[in-house]
Amino acid sequence: MKVSLNWLREYIDLPPGVEGELPDVLHSLGHEVESVDVLEPTFTGVVVGRVESIQPHPDADKIRLCRVTTGGEAEDVVCGAWNFEAGAVVPVAVPGAVIGGDFTIGQREIRGVTSNGMICSESELGLGDDHDGILVLDPETPIGTDFRELVDLPDVVFDVTITTNRPDVMSMIGLARELGAYYRLPVKLPETDHPTNDDAPRIAVRIDAPQVGQRFVARELKGISVSPSPVWLQQRLRRCGVRPISNIVDVTNYVMLELGQPLHAFDADEIAGRQIIVRRPVPGETLTTLDGVEHDLDPDDLVVADADRATSLAGVMGGADSEVSDATTAVLIEAAAWDPATVLFMAQRHEIRTEASARFERGVDPNLPPMVTARAARLMIELGGGTASAEVTDVYPTVAEPHTVMLSTSLCDRVLGVTLGAERISELLRLLGLEVAGGPEEFSVTVPTYRRDLARPIDLVEEVARLHGYNNFPETLPSGPAGGLSVAQRRERTLRSLLAGAGLSEAQNFSFHGQAELDKLRLPPDDPRRVSVSVKNPLREEESLMRTTLLPGLLNSARHNVSNGNSDVFLFEIGRVFLSGESSEFEGVPEQPRHLGFIAVGATAPDGVGSQRRPVDAYTATAAWKLVADRMGLDSAILRPAAIPGLHPVRSAEVVLDGAVIGSVGELVPSVAAAFDLEGRVAVGEVMLDPIVADRGRWELQPPSPYPKVKLDLAFDVSDAVTAADLLGAVRNASGVLLESVDVFDEYRGTGLADGRKSLAVRCAFRAQDRTLTDEEIAIIRKDIESAVSDVLDGRLRGGSS
Amino acid sequence: MTNLTDSMDLEHTLEELERAAPARVAGAVDLDSLSNLEAELTGKRSPIAEARRGIGKADPEQRKVIGVRIKEAADRIQALVDGRRIELEHAAEAQLLVDDHVDMTLDRYRLPSGSQHLLTTTMQEVSDIFLGLGYRIADGPEIETTWYNFDALNTPPEHPSRSESDTFYIDWAEGPNDVLLRAHTSPMQVRYMESHEPPVYVVVPGRVFRSDTFDATHSPVFHQIEGLAVDENLSFTDLKGTLAHFAREFFGPGREVRLLPHFFPFTEPSAEMFVSCFACDGSGCRVCSSTGWIELMGCGMVDPNVLTAVGYDPDAVSGFAFGMGVERLAQVRHGVTDIRHLYENDVRTLRQFR
Repeated sequence: MKVSLNWLREYIDLPPGVEGELPDVLHSLGHEVESVDVLEPTFTGVVVGRVESIQPHPDADKIRLCRVTTGGEAEDVVCGAWNFEAGAVVPVAVPGAVIGGDFTIGQREIRGVTSNGMICSESELGLGDDHDGILVLDPETPIGTDFRELVDLPDVVFDVTITTNRPDVMSMIGLARELGAYYRLPVKLPETDHPTNDDAPRIAVRIDAPQVGQRFVARELKGISVSPSPVWLQQRLRRCGVRPISNIVDVTNYVMLELGQPLHAFDADEIAGRQIIVRRPVPGETLTTLDGVEHDLDPDDLVVADADRATSLAGVMGGADSEVSDATTAVLIEAAAWDPATVLFMAQRHEIRTEASARFERGVDPNLPPMVTARAARLMIELGGGTASAEVTDVYPTVAEPHTVMLSTSLCDRVLGVTLGAERISELLRLLGLEVAGGPEEFSVTVPTYRRDLARPIDLVEEVARLHGYNNFPETLPSGPAGGLSVAQRRERTLRSLLAGAGLSEAQNFSFHGQAELDKLRLPPDDPRRVSVSVKNPLREEESLMRTTLLPGLLNSARHNVSNGNSDVFLFEIGRVFLSGESSEFEGVPEQPRHLGFIAVGATAPDGVGSQRRPVDAYTATAAWKLVADRMGLDSAILRPAAIPGLHPVRSAEVVLDGAVIGSVGELVPSVAAAFDLEGRVAVGEVMLDPIVADRGRWELQPPSPYPKVKLDLAFDVSDAVTAADLLGAVRNASGVLLESVDVFDEYRGTGLADGRKSLAVRCAFRAQDRTLTDEEIAIIRKDIESAVSDVLDGRLRGGSS
Repeated sequence: MTNLTDSMDLEHTLEELERAAPARVAGAVDLDSLSNLEAELTGKRSPIAEARRGIGKADPEQRKVIGVRIKEAADRIQALVDGRRIELEHAAEAQLLVDDHVDMTLDRYRLPSGSQHLLTTTMQEVSDIFLGLGYRIADGPEIETTWYNFDALNTPPEHPSRSESDTFYIDWAEGPNDVLLRAHTSPMQVRYMESHEPPVYVVVPGRVFRSDTFDATHSPVFHQIEGLAVDENLSFTDLKGTLAHFAREFFGPGREVRLLPHFFPFTEPSAEMFVSCFACDGSGCRVCSSTGWIELMGCGMVDPNVLTAVGYDPDAVSGFAFGMGVERLAQVRHGVTDIRHLYENDVRTLRQFR
């Protein structure tokens, strides 16, 4: 909300020079000043003059020769504008005047005629955009007046943000009240007296929906003439961001800015059937608003109608038909009170936001209308003549009364943490215009109807704190009884550090994806990842589904990197995915477990002289997972080769932990990689986070044996279908407790092996805790392994050494 | 006399050996030639060895004298050889170390290095400050119910934040239809209080959603950290002190904190918290838009309606809550002028996170 300081000073005697501190003062009261605009006149030496006569220029068609007086003898002034006639009162820049900041006006020869100055337009004086013609002033304006006085400059304009709970501050008088409380200054209400007539009101008013149409006040004026507003009024409106239209419309806006009550002016002669009805729309009813948009009305809308049709969306915007025109002589001033929610939803439904709806949707004091219509009548009559009916139509089904709130001193002390004392509390509340009775333990506080935000004791506590000044409270530091990370939280931090230490960088992707991403992943129609909860109001199609997998985000990130020349991309992400079943953890919402995902593109070793770049493949994915399984202590984790949709059919595996499948790792199908513009092999993995970080319980240290290790390399001729995991499992089972470690160190196909067979070689290490192993013991184990591999895997020992 | 002559010959030989040995030993330029020389001087076919073999032929009375003399010569020569060997070994090692020279500024190999996301580390850092004050960390669902996101937080039905232009709503075919993407981390306040008795000291870092077009300063997905403390006798001064402590831990000692009144439906009194600019110490700069203050978060005393909604007795306990934007903290401190960099996952950006 824009606030002119000069205007504000009409209601409160702020000390001179207050503008410097006003932003901080207003902010300390909860009204943040977004910007401060210091307005200085861009002209000097401009005075009010009257055009005595006009003659054509002897040598030019498009300009005229005016005789202009500014109090003394009339002088010739050449003027190119045609929007005035003899007798017009205008601003004249006399020789020596400066306009536009630095342009000095002198006596000047224009086509052989001497011009003694210049008649100015709004834009030449920096007052507005209108440069179609010169600025024609009220004929009553005293000739010779310094034009700066007329336009009320200099001035300071503050742009203040008013929080939604304070509709009462969305006006000059509201801000004046706040400042009055702060500076302990009285607030002056504007004059409302005006000439009246004894005519009975001609227009009948009826409210058919009293729940939402809470009050309707109509004040009728006659003998009005519509004309442009005087300069001072136009200037005030402009400084507050409102475009001047005509004296009648401008007054409705002026009074709204002044008192916070939106008003509407009807041409009283255009109200069909001489009646105004506040009602719900009838089915199929439409309304064309002032901005020329035709609206299909909703049954939940509320309209102001005449006998024929709806004429305005109540509290939002008027219609074009009954608008005041230049020919209007009878005006009906409407000031109403509407249900805030009705106005809010109506404004949202029709996508209209106006100064009026902004106020009504927050709540306007229903006891304002009589006063504001009187104020508007006074100003309209002042500017347009005429009189107002002394009798005012006021339909007010349920009168709003001031309410009382009980406030105990102890609540105030407890919530605020300091003892302000009963005297201070009651003083602060009184400064805010509240009536305070009782005390000192408990006060009865009567709240005027413009402060309906103050409904409960705690609301009053806030008022006390606000006016006392938040910054005047001390700081104290409490602490909780016990804090710390849970085991899972600590393990999650370990996991993130582990992955970062292994060369993966953490990514953060949005929680959405689109159907297209799932298609690109080649997920079959029955894939569970295609069962999504969706966003009802997505910003973009690509963000219309809640993600069921982290892969699309990671793939898009990889694509972004590769297309920007970052060829080696190693990313991980930890985040929630969203499933359609109900959450077991949180009631009433879909299941949303956290996943760990990762992606690798390019090669593992970074560039460097002679470095061995190892291209990414399926083994990058398994290595990443094995690192996690090893360091997070997931001893029972295994990889089980499986064809995972979206992944390479023979280069992917399920991750099995404690017997349950918790995810998958592997390579992308090349066509899936290509769909994300990725070349070469792409390694990915996605696993559930919770089982990984869950508390695995206590582990016990195995003291390292001081006895020597016995190594044993064994190569087996096995079928191609036998996996490394199969062989390792068989070796472990056969070896018993003496096995210290076993790894596959060679895989070979070709010479010496039949088709469909391969050689897998394992390197075993044996060691006992309590003795040196003997050759005999090793020979027995070796035999056990050999027969186990033969029995279980149909494998044949190819040779070996110990 | 023969014996005497022999002994004189021997003495002559030994003297000759001893005289020539230093030069010969010094002339050995490497360990191999030194070994050869050693064999020549003291080995089986050396004059020393020959002299030892001749001891038996000497007069029995002289044998001991001769023996001592031979040993003396042998020891003297051996000492020369040993000394030279050490010299040569040192020289060889020195040469080896010279030959081992590498360009230590050349990267032939790097250990892998990745990073955690700035948003993650920021949330951890903030959480750790509160862990130190005895808080715990809670994590809530990102798809929430309207009840937890709005109703339980005292947000009136007509509040504009409920509109579809502000909040993302969820179509959950299998479940109730009042679910949405949480617009703040505050719903977890309510869930946490429902499942825990006071005293409650908890922070909730997490992802939140608002229907804002993605641009330099807005993102439909962003992160917040919510804090909640409910206990007997917690007051507004405790809120101030807690946030001041946080600001000094996060932005450095000497930071001043300013609370200014604001409005939130779920706190009363409500405030916005500003911290004096860490970059210019309050004199005004680009970081603080020349105001000297950085707006950090919304906060306030928990509204009694919220306490009542979770079954707490607002006459017995009171509390405060605050919520800050993680992106904003990261942006302010690290000069991130475009929020989109935080969601692009460009490794050139991620590599800078530390």
